[in-house]
Formats: sequence, structure tokens, C-alpha cells
Amino acid sequence: MDELLQEFISETQETLEALAGEVVAWEADPSDRDRLDAIFRFFHTVKGSCGFLNLPRFERLSHAAEDVLSEIRAGNRQADPATVNAVLGLMDRIGELTEAVAMGAALPHENDDYLIAALSAPADAMVQSEGAMAEAGAVTAAVARQASHAAPRTIRLPLSLIDQLMNGVSDMVLARNELSRKLRERSADPELDTVFERLSACVADMRDVISKTRMQRVDRLFAAIPRMVRDLGRDLGKRIDLTLEGGDVEMDREMVEMVVDPLTHIVRNSIDHGIETPDRRRAKGKPEAGRLRVEARQSGNQIVIAIADDGAGIDTARLVEKAIAAGRLTPDAAARMSEQDRLDLIFQAGLSTAQQVTAISGRGVGMDVVRANVERIGGLIALDNQPGQGLCITLRVPLTLTIIPGLIVRAGGQHFAIPRSAVVEILHDNNDMLQISEVGGAQIATIRGVRHSMIALEDVLGMDRPAQVGPRAIMVVRSATGVPFAMGVAAVDNHEELVIRPASPLVMASGVYAGMTLPDNGRPMLLLDAAGLANAARLPNIIDDRAQQQEDQADAQARVEMVAALRFEELTGERRLLKLSLIERVEDIDARLFGRSGGRAFVRLDGRLVPVANGQAGFDRDKVSALRLRDDHREACYPVAAVLDIVEMPLVPDMVAMHGVVSGVSVIEGEHLEVLNPFALFAGLPEETMAEQPRGRCLLADSEDGWTREILAPLLRQAGHDVLLGLPADAAVDPRDVVLCSGSDAAQVAEIMGCRVVQLRASPRATGPQDGSIYRYDQDALMAAIAGGQG
Amino acid sequence: MEKLYLLAMLAGTRIAVEAGEVEAVVRLTDISPVPGMGAHVAGLSALRSRVLTIIDVAAIVHGRATPAEQRGLAIIADISGHSYGLMVDSVTDICHVPEGELPLRGQLDAAWTPFARAIVEHEGYPWLLVSLAGFIEGCAAAQAA
Repeated sequence: MDELLQEFISETQETLEALAGEVVAWEADPSDRDRLDAIFRFFHTVKGSCGFLNLPRFERLSHAAEDVLSEIRAGNRQADPATVNAVLGLMDRIGELTEAVAMGAALPHENDDYLIAALSAPADAMVQSEGAMAEAGAVTAAVARQASHAAPRTIRLPLSLIDQLMNGVSDMVLARNELSRKLRERSADPELDTVFERLSACVADMRDVISKTRMQRVDRLFAAIPRMVRDLGRDLGKRIDLTLEGGDVEMDREMVEMVVDPLTHIVRNSIDHGIETPDRRRAKGKPEAGRLRVEARQSGNQIVIAIADDGAGIDTARLVEKAIAAGRLTPDAAARMSEQDRLDLIFQAGLSTAQQVTAISGRGVGMDVVRANVERIGGLIALDNQPGQGLCITLRVPLTLTIIPGLIVRAGGQHFAIPRSAVVEILHDNNDMLQISEVGGAQIATIRGVRHSMIALEDVLGMDRPAQVGPRAIMVVRSATGVPFAMGVAAVDNHEELVIRPASPLVMASGVYAGMTLPDNGRPMLLLDAAGLANAARLPNIIDDRAQQQEDQADAQARVEMVAALRFEELTGERRLLKLSLIERVEDIDARLFGRSGGRAFVRLDGRLVPVANGQAGFDRDKVSALRLRDDHREACYPVAAVLDIVEMPLVPDMVAMHGVVSGVSVIEGEHLEVLNPFALFAGLPEETMAEQPRGRCLLADSEDGWTREILAPLLRQAGHDVLLGLPADAAVDPRDVVLCSGSDAAQVAEIMGCRVVQLRASPRATGPQDGSIYRYDQDALMAAIAGGQG
Repeated sequence: MEKLYLLAMLAGTRIAVEAGEVEAVVRLTDISPVPGMGAHVAGLSALRSRVLTIIDVAAIVHGRATPAEQRGLAIIADISGHSYGLMVDSVTDICHVPEGELPLRGQLDAAWTPFARAIVEHEGYPWLLVSLAGFIEGCAAAQAA
């Protein structure tokens, strides 16, 4: 009996959850027969089960609802808002009762009759209800959802069983790794290897499938939103069009639990403070119904949830006022703040733009708590505020709680992991940008003019620091809350996806560890907690205003400054980025034009040999896409597999890691991309271009002129000339140089300097017989004139 | 009512542990130290895919860490959801004790008082009955202090 009851409770609760959205959708479109049927079925099932289980109150409630719904089904009655309200009321009561039964508490004695009466009332007063309907009808929440399709067949399993399964698979993976080690020690046996390969593949597949069992559709996260939007809209007299999208995205079950609260809070805020009343919206020329859009999508190993409304946005001026009134900000400091800083004030505890505290939000739980909750699970929250136009809040949370990208660092002869998200930058201590000074025992690392507290991981953990050859690595570490600091480690070894498990309370109590992980080598490794390390080292966590300003500037340089970059695919398959301004153009080049000479790869272009920057010379296709690059006097060709698109990338890569032609890694739209280092690229070119002859430069006198810069200069460069914009200031002109200009005074200056002049004119006709100028679009004459001066 | 007890030597003292608390006894091989911790946490060790926190019980009792070369056996136990390995000198036996638990007698060394609950007799010797969870709580308390 108990088992049956348990089953009834969990089934009812689950259906209730799923149904809340359906009822609201049904209200918006009462003719929707499918939804009506679904709701009817729910009450019918409840009625049936509780008759059997002897739960008379349930039976009465569901029976009443069923009666009304069947009348509506028969067309004898309309689904007006009052009826829907009453049905929702009944569903809520059933929910409460279920909970009471589940906890074994006494059923709360409330007046069920009242609810049942509310259900039947409108039927008697159908005519009068028209007026009430118009009033209540002002609040509808239309829900655009994909038609609910047939539910897949499922069974219910206890979570502990799935965890057990997961552990089992982990054991299996470790056993496989050990077996693989043992096999490698023995002589190779191809037959055995094949069998082992197959086993490996099976185990890997199994691990993937098992980890999927922990995943859940975001739909569950969304289930409660339509109802909430409808109820809030009603209470506040606002009309809201709700759009939910991306419900089929999957995320970790635990993650769903963690995101529910922040999401609910943001949606509440949006309706309460963001979207205006219909009157005010009309006055502002916006449609009466406010739009609220909640969207989930997967981006790399993150889930992005965006909540966008077209309401009033955040009034940053009011925020600043409040902050000053609360004594958190001096008017002086406020004047220096950027718009983004002002917006960030919303995350300060106890600040709200709401004129008054309402029952809906503003219950002392602010955006500070939302941010703290999101960051606790390794997520990020971003605001895009358009005052008067709306606000878009983006939550980025990791796919699961348990797998994070991490860096493996070495210190004191031991390995540690640190979350990749906590590391801003990695430098070697022999880097010129870095300067380490010591005062009164404190170490200060100055990186590009910004001073950071500097600690050595070994010192914080009380380990010996073995002597080491080669430079130490200095990481700039930023925790979710504290100030960034520099941390020295012996080396940064690796970048891996780590499966994190909780460490025992004893170890956590030390405060510097956030968990542990078991890598393939079978030696447990500890995950460092950035904030904890700063605490343990007792680093000053207060920043004076000036330092803050400097840091903000540095941050702005490091983070906000974006440059256009070309995303492309290398012939070897990796995807990389290159600053767009270095690329002169992209063209398809005949593969036959590529060749090798003297160990270097070259390509024949316009009769000249141009070095190939990545040394590729043989291709499996006829045409090769190539980037034509140029520094101020040399050019190079960079064949690629495909040019993908142009994206914005941060000026300084997210992770600086110089090696070879790569200067670091940037994350663009959730994808880790290596950024090419143009310096290394050109430095690696052979000293002299093979066919280069000593030849004069083309000096363009009218360097300010748009035509000269944009049309003439590229033309000359394309023709293989060295082009210099403007006359050299130090007058170091070579007699072989050619000066191109359009004004006659510049021509005279150039003649005095002793080099040949080609004068250009804008009109096709010469002004007179003495006019030695050339029409500027007469390419042949122009080239001849320039060539004539050389040789 | 006959209970099963695991009899072992710990820091030179005969101890008994209720078998229900014990999951397994393993020989320790590889311990990764946890820097920044007191002597009572010897490190982490992997047992198949589980990671054990290895507790140096002798260090809790007497405050002296067991030298690495003397680390031998550990009693594996699951205490409030986490796996621990408690280091012991040696394990003698697992057996039923017909007499059951006897009250403590004599003046107990101050170091042992927080952990000893009773005495069990086996083959004519008294064994100090201790609780594994007690050690973990003991060192959590020591850390907090």
C-alpha cells in the first residue's frame, strides 16, 4: 500500500509540474483540444487513483474539476479566465495535499468547498461574467511552445542507482587503463591489441551513455515559468507575451536544480521592474503587451540561458543615486565610473532600482544573491542594458557540475589542478612584461603596469621548493569574488577536462582546496580554490580606488578591447584566428604555383616568389585558399584549408601561451581557438625574398588623401612596389625612389630632394602641352612611369 | 548478542573496532600528500576509482606523524558519505567476542580518553573499543580549535 501511495504522490507531483504550463497555454487558446484533454486526463487519473487509495478530499476536488472540464469539452461552457483560475486553484490545492501526504503530515484543513464553489460560479453567471472577463482578460500570457509530442517511454530510477552505475563505469575505465599499461609492457600482439581496442571503445561508449542519464531537458526548468508569468502579470495588471525556446537542450540534473532559483528571480524582476504597465507602454509607443523571452542553448561545454524583456531596462542613474545615498559610493568616485561599472552596482547587496518594495520581488533577495548563486556553480552572469528599450540577462553555466576544464600545475614536486576559468593569464618569470619586486617580505608582481600581490604556491601550502632549471610560471588568478593576484608555480603542465569529486570535509576544512580529481595515472590530485588561496596567504582584499581604476583600465584593455579577426581552418585541421588587419586579401591560388626551394616553401605570384609562412607546399587539391599577409615591407602567403568567418577577438588572447607561431588561446563563441602570432610568423620568414632586386620605393606624397591610401597604395603594393605613405621626414630619399603626387608644389619639393616625380591628375585630359602629369586611372602609363625611373 | 570485532594494533595499543564500521582493510601503496594540512591527514590514495583520505590515527592520538616507511595497513570506512582510510600498525583478527563490551577500568592515558568507549576481552587480553567516526570527528574538532 505504501508503495502504491508513494507512486501516486510522485506521479501526481510530476504531472502537476508539467501541467501548469499547459493550463496557461489552454487559457490563451481555449479551443486547443489537446491541452484540454491533457488536463482532463490528469484530474481523471487523480480521481481514479484516490478512490482506490481512499483519499476522499482528493477525490472531491478532482471530481469537481473533472465535471467542469467535461462540460467545456462538450461545448456547454466556455473556458473563461475565472474558470481557468478556479482550475488552477484546484491544482494548487491538490499539490498541497500531495505534499502533506508525502510528508505524512495531517492534511491541512482548508475550505475545499470555497474552491469548488468558485469553479461552478461562473456557470451560473455566464452573462455577467463578460464584463469581468474583459477585465481579467487584460492579462493573458501567450505561450509559444512546440506542440507537445508523444512522451518517450520512461521508467523511474533512484538517483543512487545511477550514481552506483557511474562509479562502476569509472572503475572500469581505470581497470582498462591499467590493462593498457600492462599490455604496453609486454611484446606487441596485434590480435590482442584489436580485442583490447574493441573493449576500449565499448567502455568509452558506455561512459558517454551513462553520463547522459544524468542529463535532463531544460524543459523542466521552464515548466514553472508560464504559470508564474501569468500569475504575476495578473497581480500587477501587466500583459506579457512569453516565449520559451530551447527546452530540448539538456543539462546536468543537479545543474537544473541550481539554476531554478536565479532564473525564477530574474523572471520575477523582469515582470515587476522591467516591463511597464500597459498605459505607460502605450505612452512610450511600445505595444501594450510586454515581451519576455527565455531561451536556452548549448555553446561548447556551457549552457547559455538568456532572459530578455522589452521593458524599461535598468536606470543606472538611479542606481548611482541609491549607492551614494547608502554611503557606498562617493559622488567623486561615481563621476569616474563607466556605464558598465554603474550597471554592475545592481549586483551590490541591498541596492534595487525599484521605487518601492513590492510583494513580488524586492524581498531583500537581490541580484547580489543571484550572482553569488550563479558563480558558485562556476557560471557567469552578464547584463545587456538598453535603457528604455529592455534588458537582456545572460546566464552561462557549465554543462555539469562535475566536469570542468582545468590546468594542471606543478609545485613542490606535486601536481595540482586549478579551474581554467580562474586563470587569467600565464607568463614565465623571465618575461619582459613582468617585474617582480619585494618590499618588507611582500612580493609584488607588476604586469604591464598593473601591480598584483604575488605568492608562491609552495609557500602558501608550506612545501619545500626544489631547485629547478628554467623559468617558473606566474599565473594571474582571479577568483569569483576577490582581487586578481599573481601566483608562482614550478610549471603549468597541461590543460585537461577534469572530473571533479568532493574532497572529504577534513581536506576541505583547510580552505585552499575545492575538490579532488583522479586522473588516468591513478594518483589523486587536488583542485585548488583560488579564493581560498588568497585567504590563506592573507592577501589584502581591499583595493584603493586608484588601483581599482587602473585595474579597470587594464581590464578594459585586456577584456573589452576587441579586434576583428579571421577565423580559418588550417590544412592540418585546427581552427585558428589571425588579426584581420594583417591580411591583405584572401585568394584562391593554383596549387601548382607552390613549390619548394632550399628547404623553404614559396609560391609564384605575379612573377615574384613569395614565401609561404606555414611552410606548406604540397596540396591534395587544385586550388588552395591562401591568406596574403603583409607587414610594412614584406609579404607572405599563408595557405589554409578554409576561411570560416570574421569574428571579434580580444586584443590580448584569453590565455597567453606563446609557443611557435601561436600567441595564445581565445574563446570565441565557446570554441577554443589558437591565435596566430604575426610577429613570429614574419620573424620565421627567410631573410630575403628570393627574386627581390634592389629597387626604389614609391613615396606617396599625399598620404592624407583617401584615394591615395585606399586605391593607389594597394594597386602599387599589388604590383610589387614598396610603398611609403608620406615623404620621409628625415629626407633620407634614395635616388631610385619615385615620388607620386598630385599637387605641383609637392612635385617641386621632391625634385629638390633629387628623385624622380610622377605627377598624377584627376581629370582624363591634360591641362596643356607642358603638363607632364598622368591621369590617375591610366594604369599602364602609371606603371610605365614608375618603372621608367628604376633600373 | 554477539558482535563481530576487528582487532588491530594502533600506535602500540590494542584496539577493537565494530566490524560494521569497517568496509575493508587494504595495504597502502601510493599516498599523495595533501600539503597545508596537519600531520593527521597523511594524504590521498586511490582505491580503484575511489579516492580515500588517509588518516594518520597515531598522529591524532599522540600528535606524532607515522614515518612514511612504517605506513602499512589502512582500515577503509565510509564516514558520512566520504571514504577514509585509517592507518593502523597491524590487524590481528576478526572475531566474535562472547562477553561483549565491558566498561572501562583503570586510568586511561589522556591521549586515548576522547576515543575509547569500552573494553572487549579476547584471548585473555583487553582491547580498547574505539569508533572510527570518533577519530574523524576528533580531528575535525582539533582543526577547528
